[in-house]
Amino acid sequence: MSNYFYVSPEQLIKDRAEFAQKGIARGRSIVAAIYDKGVVMVAENTSASLNKVSEIYDRIAFAGVGKYNEFDRLREAGIRWADSTGFTYSREDVDARALANYYAQHLGDMFTEGQKPLEVEILVAQLGNKLRPTKLYRVAYEGTILDEPRFSVLGGDAETIKNRFALSEGTPQTLKITLKDAASALAGPDRLIPASELEVGILEDRGNRRTFTRLTDDEVSELLS
Amino acid sequence: MGLPLFSAHGDPGPSFWHYAQTMGLTSTPPTNHSDAPHATTVIAVRYLGGVVMVGDRQATGFYIASRDVRKIEPADRFTALAISGSAARGIELLKFAQLSFEHYEKMTDSALSLEGKANYLSPIIQRNNLATPLLVLPLLAGWDESHQVGRIFEYDGAGGCYERLDYATIGSGSPFADGALRLGFRADLDREEALDLGALALYEAGDNDPSTGGPDFVRNIFPMMVTVDARGFQEIAAADVAARFSVINERRTQSGGVAGGALR
Repeated sequence: MSNYFYVSPEQLIKDRAEFAQKGIARGRSIVAAIYDKGVVMVAENTSASLNKVSEIYDRIAFAGVGKYNEFDRLREAGIRWADSTGFTYSREDVDARALANYYAQHLGDMFTEGQKPLEVEILVAQLGNKLRPTKLYRVAYEGTILDEPRFSVLGGDAETIKNRFALSEGTPQTLKITLKDAASALAGPDRLIPASELEVGILEDRGNRRTFTRLTDDEVSELLS
Repeated sequence: MGLPLFSAHGDPGPSFWHYAQTMGLTSTPPTNHSDAPHATTVIAVRYLGGVVMVGDRQATGFYIASRDVRKIEPADRFTALAISGSAARGIELLKFAQLSFEHYEKMTDSALSLEGKANYLSPIIQRNNLATPLLVLPLLAGWDESHQVGRIFEYDGAGGCYERLDYATIGSGSPFADGALRLGFRADLDREEALDLGALALYEAGDNDPSTGGPDFVRNIFPMMVTVDARGFQEIAAADVAARFSVINERRTQSGGVAGGALR
């Protein structure tokens, strides 16, 4: 016969939050920022094929930190949601806010009801147009959703990196300047991250319907030089 | 619809078709109506650096339903997809193919091979054509990036997919287009020659098949002409297409409508 011990809700939430935070803190961070022509997402990633930054839809991108299998499943669900919404209605009806809300609900449910909370933190970025604004929605492991005005930092060391990036110019800069700021905020004062270990994705209007582009190592090196 | 999450064993993978079936997004109910606009001629011709596609613009039911339909669309940057048969089902197939190729690319971070795209359509055509009398037969042509060559794939009503090394035609005007292509095709055609041959074959189909719209000099509506090569899908400008058909038409007018024992 097993014994059940009383655990207060406060303690339960605290334990779960600690568990999720520990998992997230193990991975490297991501900086996403709005620049003069779009949105750039910069991840410190030693793998060239296990992506942290991805395309969801014409004007929507996804970034995730924490456990890869967990946020990658969320990425896939996002692509499926976006593609089937656009198929059922119209491409212009696919909205990042709706997607961010679904993510928030799912993460919130997993946090309170799941076997264990998901050890992830994700970002849904939207490039604005006449219909919608440019947006960065950050969704935390417990389902908190934040609409961040200029930039967003995900991952364990978020506060420190946030403080570093906050020192940069307040108005949107060029891609080159924003990428440099993001890379140095990720690296900190005594470290330099090589271009091959930076994964960079941008959302920018270049005359195509799909606005997401993954920058190659060479392009990143050139922008950082 | 909420967030579509799947467990590892129930996951439909990167195929949008499998996903759509799992979610009940599409249905092709059996029906006895077959009066939807149809009838077409679309031609694909291989040349040394790619493929040319030419398609008429007329949608025909019991009467001419539309004179400016686009029957050839880019399925993605390196793939052209043309449809013949039921307009409703054909457009659904086009939409589905475009979405599926992009979906696969986003899910896996790599594009499907041209052969992969051609094979992907087989079960969709099979299911559609066996379930309803509204037949759809597509024609897929594109630039194979891995092998640096233009390739053409045609289908039969049961979903069989066949690669053609020379040319292919679909639609009710096929026999007439086919005749011209059979006489005019060579393995070493260049782009210009392939465009001219494609235009002539379509002119023949428009001349003989009542359900194929040839060049319409009254309304200034001309067949669609596209090329797919290493630079991707490109539609030939309307003025250029008009000029090619005017040349053929002028020759035919002079010979009193007779091809005259030559490809003219």
